Amino acid sequence: MTRHSQAFTRSKWFLPLFSVAMGGLLLAASWLGGHPGAGLVFLAAMTVFGLVILLAGRSETVRGLRGDGRDERFAQMDMRATAVSGLVLIVALIVAWLVEIARGHSGNPYSWLLAISGLSYLIAVVILRWRG
Amino acid sequence: MRLDRSLAQGQLAQAMGVSRQTINSIENDRYTPSLPLAMALARYFGVTVEEMFDDQA
Repeated sequence: MTRHSQAFTRSKWFLPLFSVAMGGLLLAASWLGGHPGAGLVFLAAMTVFGLVILLAGRSETVRGLRGDGRDERFAQMDMRATAVSGLVLIVALIVAWLVEIARGHSGNPYSWLLAISGLSYLIAVVILRWRG
Repeated sequence: MRLDRSLAQGQLAQAMGVSRQTINSIENDRYTPSLPLAMALARYFGVTVEEMFDDQA
């Protein structure tokens, strides 16, 4: 990551703009799927979320999530929180996969998602080990 | 050390480029700083890292 892009992701505008961009993508996807009304609701919800994050600057949690209040301690919390959410997601995928197999189905798409998560974990370990 | 210099947590945090909560967590043994931050803190107070963080030093 370049210093310029790192400065942008650490500005207070990054997460609000990202939220609105995600809302725009949701609107486009919903429009393509024939539900433009639902897309507008998604966009409105993501815009409100972005505004709340932008304006609620006194909280350390909000500033850390937003990026402008992020220091080494928050970066460590962010990494641990990401690991926890990844673990929860993998456990949920395993449960859903087993339930699908028990119902006599193929287990898809959970088997693919589990394969992707396992493979990405292995690749990350190899790269991190290589980088020291 | 901070109180000896009549420094507020916010002032020290600003000097170190971290949040006030991070300084508070270090002081209350809830967070172990990285080596660069530990060295910066020691340098700021003019002591060694051992003097700053090791109770037995």
